[in-house]
Amino acid sequence: MLLARLSWAYLKKHRLRWALTIAGVALGVAVLVAMRLANQAVLSSFQRTVQGIAGRTQLQVHAGDLGFPEEVLERVQALPEVAAAAPVIEAALDTGLPGQGYLLVVGVDMTGDRSIRDYEFDSGEEAILDDPLVFLAQPDSIIVTREFAERNGLGVGSRIPLGTAQGTRWFTVRGIMRPGGLSQAFGGNLAVMDVYALQYVLGRGRRFDRIDVALREGISLEQGERALRQALGPGFEIEPPSARGRHFEAILRSFSLTLNITSLFAVLVGMFLIYNSFSVAVTQRRAEIGILRALGADRSTIRRLFLSEAAVAGLVGALAGAAAGWLMAQWVASYVGRLMQEAYGVVQNVEGAPADWRLLVGGAGVGVLASVVAAWIPARAAARVDPVLALQKGRHQVLSAGEYRVRRWLAGVAAGGAALLLTAGRSPAWFYAGYVLIVLAALWLTPALARGLARGLRPLLAWLRPVEGGLAVDSLLQAPRRTSATVAALMLSLAMVVGFGGVARSIYDSLVEWVETTLNPDLFVTPNAEIANRTYVVPAELGAEVERVPGVRQVQLVRSARVPYQGVPVLLVAADVAKLARTVRRRPIEGDPEDMHRRTAAGEATIVSESFARLRGLRVGDVVELPAPKGLLRLPIAGIVRDYSDQQGTLLIDRALYRTWWDDDTVNVIRVYLAPGASAAEVKRAILEQCGRGRRLFVLANEEVRRYIFRLADQWFGMTYNQIAVAILVAVLGVVNTLTVSITDRRRELGLLLAVGGLRPQVRRTIWMEALAIGLIGLLLGLALGAVNLYYSLEMTRRDLAGLSLDYVFPASLAAWLIPVILGAAFLAALGPAAAAVRGSPAEALEYE
Amino acid sequence: MIELRQVWKVFLNGRREVVALRGVSLSVRRGETVAVVGPSGSGKSTLLNLIGGLDRPSRGRILLEGRNLAELDDDELALVRREKIGFVFQFFHLLPTLTCVENVALPLHLRGWSRRSAEARARELLALVGLGERLDHLPEELSGGERQRVAIARALAANPPVLLADEPTGNLDTRTGAEILTLLADLHTRLGTTMLIVTHDAQVARACARVVTLRDGQIVGDSSIQGP
Repeated sequence: MLLARLSWAYLKKHRLRWALTIAGVALGVAVLVAMRLANQAVLSSFQRTVQGIAGRTQLQVHAGDLGFPEEVLERVQALPEVAAAAPVIEAALDTGLPGQGYLLVVGVDMTGDRSIRDYEFDSGEEAILDDPLVFLAQPDSIIVTREFAERNGLGVGSRIPLGTAQGTRWFTVRGIMRPGGLSQAFGGNLAVMDVYALQYVLGRGRRFDRIDVALREGISLEQGERALRQALGPGFEIEPPSARGRHFEAILRSFSLTLNITSLFAVLVGMFLIYNSFSVAVTQRRAEIGILRALGADRSTIRRLFLSEAAVAGLVGALAGAAAGWLMAQWVASYVGRLMQEAYGVVQNVEGAPADWRLLVGGAGVGVLASVVAAWIPARAAARVDPVLALQKGRHQVLSAGEYRVRRWLAGVAAGGAALLLTAGRSPAWFYAGYVLIVLAALWLTPALARGLARGLRPLLAWLRPVEGGLAVDSLLQAPRRTSATVAALMLSLAMVVGFGGVARSIYDSLVEWVETTLNPDLFVTPNAEIANRTYVVPAELGAEVERVPGVRQVQLVRSARVPYQGVPVLLVAADVAKLARTVRRRPIEGDPEDMHRRTAAGEATIVSESFARLRGLRVGDVVELPAPKGLLRLPIAGIVRDYSDQQGTLLIDRALYRTWWDDDTVNVIRVYLAPGASAAEVKRAILEQCGRGRRLFVLANEEVRRYIFRLADQWFGMTYNQIAVAILVAVLGVVNTLTVSITDRRRELGLLLAVGGLRPQVRRTIWMEALAIGLIGLLLGLALGAVNLYYSLEMTRRDLAGLSLDYVFPASLAAWLIPVILGAAFLAALGPAAAAVRGSPAEALEYE
Repeated sequence: MIELRQVWKVFLNGRREVVALRGVSLSVRRGETVAVVGPSGSGKSTLLNLIGGLDRPSRGRILLEGRNLAELDDDELALVRREKIGFVFQFFHLLPTLTCVENVALPLHLRGWSRRSAEARARELLALVGLGERLDHLPEELSGGERQRVAIARALAANPPVLLADEPTGNLDTRTGAEILTLLADLHTRLGTTMLIVTHDAQVARACARVVTLRDGQIVGDSSIQGP
């Protein structure tokens, strides 16, 4: 109890620092909770939609986004194990209604779908399902949910606009569904129409997205699956509806990983602040610790005292963080929903993030645990305080020659170990152990390096101000422990900044190179408003029409869609590879550029993205088995290239091969190269005039696509930029914190300086220069460790995160920008302590205990 | 009670060795009051720290009630300090955020006493040192002499058999110093505590039954003073 009084008294005296520390924990927990809740909200929103639409479906037959020909339905229906099989097409269409965004339109076969799904209508409208001819005869018919109808003031007979492959068309509301079941899917923004009408609307030809299957009584899922697989061959995925959640999670994998890294980073920031604050507290409370030790407190009592404080700070921060995280999650969920739509073409209706008590309590638990773990080292240091030294002012700041030697030796061993692990170790555990060793080596070496750099700075500072410069350097040299604590804090924060910034820079540079070498057509003709969206397709004949437009030199037809590969959706790109080879000049990571294009154009091989190959451990020559409606397509890998179209990986095959195996001649992008001297704006206008009538068509200039991609990249990096900002903030806080302690510790020494004739401006300048010197030393070491950290960060990106091998590009502009920021922060941090140091009388300072 | 046999203490100052004590041997009987005198740097405080278990000798044995302190680990030494030793420092070393009662109760609290009984004992002790009216004051509200009285009360809180005082009057004016000395003498008479007092002050030394003189880390004088 009495010890708690000591803690409380210290806390009251340093309210601001504690507030910052608790805010650090709160921030960590808030980000952790927000990211997890948001991710969960997006996934559960998807699951709700899947479950709402599934009805009595036990198994679903699909072949990725490309769908399959109608005939498959007959083969499924013919199976004795199948009680009912209903074709489905799903598409999120732009309603054009103000504020309503996307409407999930589910195309079903009205004649047989009631055997799979229940439709409950508002009174008097049941007849429309009893007479499916209503839909067959009037393909503009649509059924909407009551929620959607009420929101938009719709009733039976109302007309709503929808974007179709033939341009905007008006649809007539023939029925309004009661809430519950199907109506709850996609947040109620759902409509049902005839599947054949929807084929026409989307321009997809006679294809379905999937078939929902209900099995006969007594047939198990395994039996049904076996029968379907036998009947359809290896080109189809046969899964229960719940499996779609796994596919969605797989698409989200990289993004979820980024969210997890952001959460982890936020928790680490919180831990760093706790560590920093407790290190400062231990320094400030050395006398108190010394007294307690002299009075008989054993080490565990001291350790418990600090760890209890950490637990309490952690608990307060964690509770605040959990509450803030829940609030943040509401915003993050809709941000993630938007990003899903723009980056992945997966439209989701995410409505907030409901509180999940297990997650909130878990997040708070992580906060408390992180806090206690972060305080462990300072608490251990407190427990080891030598009571004799603790009661003598200043003595603890000195490092003995032996200690320097031991630290150098430890650093050498750690650095050697890291080098060995890097060259000889193959497993990820060895790699990460090497990373930890490098950081430890840097920390052990910090006092010696800081001392060396301080000595090196002496001539410069002495040249600037002979007296103050010399005193500033002397102060740094006389208290290596204090100096190195600040420098180490700064160094670690800046190393993080350089790591994050460097990875972002490298990805950005690679992205620029990819865009310049691959996305180089002058125009892109597409039926979708956004290049990543693949809802609508156009017939291949449109390519010939576009090619006839004056000013067009060449067109390249592209059909891309996600297809399942080993249970994970990857992007299949079918294009005119021979033409592509002449316009796209990307350097392969593996494979011969001539040979890979030749073999792929001939339909004998595939070119895959680096992420596809690395995430699956594939090399050139390995065979990829791709399920297609006509069977299992086996293709050897002819080349591995950099491609950022999809994070799970991309496969490029020739369009002729695609037509044969998928029986589909539609395209979703037409790459257009202009004749020399042709104006892009004029050709764009001409394409829209000559080919766009009665069609949904967008012509995007190269610049627009680039802007779109870089906007996406910026959105993607948004979190990284936030991390950089937080890391800089932490670095600045570290400087302020330790410099404040440094001045407090030295009140007596500074009083002495005044007593022997030092002028107040001189003392002030001495402190300023000392702060600037600490900033500069921290900056130099931080940038050096950052260069190493960047190497490890890029390796992590390659090995475990995205399968991308990125060029090492040191973020020089970021480093140049950090110099004034950190020096400025160090100077600002010194202003308060410097003013405090000269405020009182020298006699008072000399008596300071 | 306390026995030092050939005790050496060597400090490393950079690469240079500084010998603070050179083979000191000393015996202190139970209930004795011993003044340790000598010039600055003679090793007085080092000797006190070693006897108090705050530090360990480089060589030699320090026996406190038969236990060799040199062989004890850190936590065992903490236990010895808790049970056997009371410290009084020149600069008082009171915890500024605790009241007088709380400061005195602190060693008892560390021994696991309940708050109520620890504070009851602290009040008794504060009354004994003449601060019965200042129980809930913070150290900053007290004069130097009063602070030292609180420190003495704290040192005696757990009734330790040994009281070690490092320049207990060094930070006080002459009159207050004399009062503290009287208090220590009075407490010694009443409680029979063994006392070792490091001092520069001849008046303090004269108040002790025995005076040990240190110079350059060695005992150069050990004399008993006859009481009046």
